[in-house]
Amino acid sequence: MLSYILRRIAATLPVMAIVALFVFSLLYIAPGDPAVVIAGDQASPEDVERIRQSLGLDRPFLVQFGSWVWRILHGDLGTSIFTNLPVSAMIGQRLGPTLSLMIVTLLLTIVVAVPLGVVAAWKAGSLIDRVIMGFAVFGFSLPVFVVGYMLAYIFALELEWLPVQGYTPLSSGFWPWLENLILPAIALGCVYIALVARITRASMLEVLQQDYIRTAKAKGLGQGGILFIHALKNAAVPIVTVIGIGIALLIGGAVVTESVFAIPGLGRLTIDAILRRDYPVIQGIVLLFSFVYVLVNLMIDVIYTLVDPRIRY
Amino acid sequence: MALLEVDNLQTHFRTPGGINRAVDGVSFHVNEGETLAIVGESGCGKSVTSMSLMRLIPEPPGRIAGSIRFAGKDLLKLSDREMRAIRGNDISMIFQEPMTSLNPVLTVGRQIRETLMIHQGLDKQAAEAHAIEMLTLVGIPEPGRRVREYPHQLSGGMRQRVMIAIALACNPKLLIADEPTTALDVTIQAQILKLMLDLKRRVGAAIILITHDLGVVAEIAERVMVMYAGRKVEEAPVAELFRSPRHPYTQGLLGAVPRLGSSLTGTARRLAEIPGQVPDLRKPIVGCVFAGRCALATDLCRQYAPGLEEKGPRHIAACHYSAKGAVAA
Repeated sequence: MLSYILRRIAATLPVMAIVALFVFSLLYIAPGDPAVVIAGDQASPEDVERIRQSLGLDRPFLVQFGSWVWRILHGDLGTSIFTNLPVSAMIGQRLGPTLSLMIVTLLLTIVVAVPLGVVAAWKAGSLIDRVIMGFAVFGFSLPVFVVGYMLAYIFALELEWLPVQGYTPLSSGFWPWLENLILPAIALGCVYIALVARITRASMLEVLQQDYIRTAKAKGLGQGGILFIHALKNAAVPIVTVIGIGIALLIGGAVVTESVFAIPGLGRLTIDAILRRDYPVIQGIVLLFSFVYVLVNLMIDVIYTLVDPRIRY
Repeated sequence: MALLEVDNLQTHFRTPGGINRAVDGVSFHVNEGETLAIVGESGCGKSVTSMSLMRLIPEPPGRIAGSIRFAGKDLLKLSDREMRAIRGNDISMIFQEPMTSLNPVLTVGRQIRETLMIHQGLDKQAAEAHAIEMLTLVGIPEPGRRVREYPHQLSGGMRQRVMIAIALACNPKLLIADEPTTALDVTIQAQILKLMLDLKRRVGAAIILITHDLGVVAEIAERVMVMYAGRKVEEAPVAELFRSPRHPYTQGLLGAVPRLGSSLTGTARRLAEIPGQVPDLRKPIVGCVFAGRCALATDLCRQYAPGLEEKGPRHIAACHYSAKGAVAA
């Protein structure tokens, strides 16, 4: 098992290298001279030249890339052009809210979507099935910001059950932390819940046709045991895959959700950085998101082996 | 005394093409400790009959009518909960496909334990110990290691042994075996049949053996019921049936069995086949169900369905001309 994980980690290294190359090229793909871009609109030609030399932009591309990677490996993501703070410190400050939002959304999705999908498959063709799948189509078609503003209007402004916006760190208590995250998590989770519920239903429908489900019934098992143990474990591989892929969706959605609910997370930082053309910050964030995604994929591969003993490692 | 009494069992399915009368008015009984074989070709309703006994037919589109009296209770009148308490406990089942009938992601031990924990109220340790005991009983070497393995680590024969272990774990009164050896190698078939018989004697269970393999029937059944197009067409003790089959369909089945060594003794002949196909069960059948394929059929057969009549000692068949048929055989 350990050697499997190590081999999987080794296999992700080339992926990370290519991602790094792309992220680094960002500066060069962007229109114009990087030094001019970094210096900003009001800089004098001397300023531009000074920046060019201080950043080593006059050296060959690969040399620059090499030294950039070297610094990253030592934990140095560079310095923000706008705030002059280290990028790693800026990201560190904003990591908590985004991570909280993503974890709450992920848990909400699994807790809601999987049972819904299982019930829909069990009652396939019935009214319950059609209602659940109707909601799934609905959730899939609504953009995050529409759902977000609707939820904020109904549950925060009208009913006053939950705060309209903002964020409280977990260190100030569990409920204050959670109550700020409920509406954003629902808004962000809508598409995700719809996706996972649909996949769960499709995967379960196939499994419920199998001979071993008939065997389980013939043994006198109750409906719950058949659905959630005998069937769900067999249906789990596609579901786990989609939950993993969905994390990429969450990363994109978090940017919008954080804006709607004024959560001071990485999403907001990303938007600010893009608007200010703060390239080192953009690079740092994109690199981090890519790393998280590669890590999630690794976790999915490990979960596969736990769910299905036939998958060898 | 009859353990199971099935009266006028009708299992129909609603399909887009009309109502499929998969089983249409079948009655039979099984005595305690007895082995009854149900034979017939594919689509004759033998598997649907066995699934109906366990109430494993999805309803809808299926619908089961008639009565199934097991140990004094009408199974068709029980609640789902009461029925679950019988499945795997008083009546258990072995299926045709050992390769797909076990859950691939659960250990063998867990799959045996489950039925013991549900029906016998054993805790995990006790059930585990009993599971190992059952694996020993069905002749699986190193049971202590095998309980922790998954089905894909076992051969087909081993898996069928595990199925038998699951089926017999709670000492059922009735074991329904639906083509238990069809998917296995010939050498393994004999082992599995012998195992079933040994364990049946040990546990004292009655067996309903569903098969199209008449060799298997001759070997282990005491009584045989022949089904055709969802009806029972003949029933007799096994020796009687093989000696003097009364229904032309049964005669056809027996004629389609190859005889080993017949080419050496010079008695080899082309295997007799039954011409034609099973009638469409979605359309009402007028007259005898077998008339379309029967060499002896007359206008009488095509207009009036024959009832089941006494044709010999404990021997019944549904044929207008069975006396003549017996002579012709």
